[in-house]
Amino acid sequence: MKSGIWPPLLLGAGIIAAWEIYVRAAGIDPLLLPPPSAVASYLVENTRMMASNGAATLEELLVGFVCGAVIGLSLGILMQVWHWFREAAYPWLVATQMVPIPAVAPILVLWFGFTIVPKAATVALMCFFPVAVNTVDGLSSVNPELIRLLRTFGAGPWHVMWKAALPSALPRIFSGLRVAMALSVVGAVVGEWVGSTHGLGYLMLHFENRGETAGLFATVAVLTVMGIILFFLVGWVENWAISWRRYAKETL
Amino acid sequence: MTMVPTAMKVRGVSRTYRDGTRTVTALEGADIDILDGKFVSIVGPSACGKSTLLNLFCGLDKPDAGSIEAPVLGDGKLLGRVGYMPQQDTLMPWRTVTDNAAVGLECLGSSREAARQRARELMERFGLSGFEHSYPGQLSGGMRQRVAMLRTFLCGRKINLLDEPFGKLDAITRASMQAWLLDYWQENRCTIVFVTHDIDEALFLSDVVHLMSPRPGRIILSLEVDVPRPRKYGEVVTSVHFNELKARLLQSLGRQA
Repeated sequence: MKSGIWPPLLLGAGIIAAWEIYVRAAGIDPLLLPPPSAVASYLVENTRMMASNGAATLEELLVGFVCGAVIGLSLGILMQVWHWFREAAYPWLVATQMVPIPAVAPILVLWFGFTIVPKAATVALMCFFPVAVNTVDGLSSVNPELIRLLRTFGAGPWHVMWKAALPSALPRIFSGLRVAMALSVVGAVVGEWVGSTHGLGYLMLHFENRGETAGLFATVAVLTVMGIILFFLVGWVENWAISWRRYAKETL
Repeated sequence: MTMVPTAMKVRGVSRTYRDGTRTVTALEGADIDILDGKFVSIVGPSACGKSTLLNLFCGLDKPDAGSIEAPVLGDGKLLGRVGYMPQQDTLMPWRTVTDNAAVGLECLGSSREAARQRARELMERFGLSGFEHSYPGQLSGGMRQRVAMLRTFLCGRKINLLDEPFGKLDAITRASMQAWLLDYWQENRCTIVFVTHDIDEALFLSDVVHLMSPRPGRIILSLEVDVPRPRKYGEVVTSVHFNELKARLLQSLGRQA
């Protein structure tokens, strides 16, 4: 069984301790690399500001993630149902991932202004792809014998999708969602860099321009913790949704 | 003697399919009559087209030539009206035993709760009491097979096709499942078409054994098994008559090989 939360915490504490000792012992300029203690005290002093900006980023991120997941799932299902659609759309979906997001984001700002929309759209643009690809793969890996059996029960395409293909694709879909969640953190920050008045990405630029390295590190720390929590939240939902998996010795 | 209606009538059926660059003739000119309410086996060497024949019976596939009719079912397509139990148990690991058994009725239009209720009523008869909420991964091979069989029989079809249902079970489990199946069939008469490559199993269970030739498959012998029921495995398989019947089947097979 898992040994729990302690090994990663201990490792993290070790790295932070080494960092602190190194910065102090070597007399590094705190503008180049602030010691963890400085970052921590910055966090404590500016909790409220961090929280309000974090909440803004979280909102953009979640809206974008949910939209991206829904779009990805729908595209995946449509590509599985209509083969011609898969053939036609797949290369274009790949193409969307080849476009550098920082190049697209300013246009989104031009269209939608300094609102939540361009950030959520950036997130959704990055999120939908892994979900769509994993949904298609998951849906097409359903046991053909099971489909044949359901057809002898008079099942139509809808029954087959709902009762056989989607449940057996769930593990793959959740893999896609986990990747999407990790990407959405990056997506939200990039979205904010291009045009925003608040949010963690905005804060980063702000601190960077003013040379407040401790603030910059503190912002990164908040973002990291948020991302990790969100990532594991997806895993938690997955374990709940696929609770049967621990009994499935063989794959169907 | 009254005329028994015909459950399934097969005339001159051929089926060829492509396997990569090769064309494989699985069936050629197969004729069978299956009488209503009978327990019928189809026996033959591996890859003789038994499964192809079952696919045609349940409407999953269409013959290239010849006709397949199910007079007891009336007119209309076969798909969705003939019960089928595939060789793999194809239980869904995300559904409990009850929900797996209920899936057939659900597809046929029952509500989930009504289908579950019907499944629960038969749990005991299928030896699954106490496992209603278990997942397939927690069951033994024999129990999985019972769930798959319950799923098929729950639909209450007049004709049920069983594709090597006991093929992967150990000998002891297999014998008890055979006895159980005969009991169940005697209580709930329906036509059973049982595919196997085990001659003893076929003779012990069936009213008629249809023997298939190696590919391209045809029916080369239809042997009536005039052993009175109820049958006791130990008595039947050691009897002189049983061994005479077995010898006839083996002879016919030998002539083909």
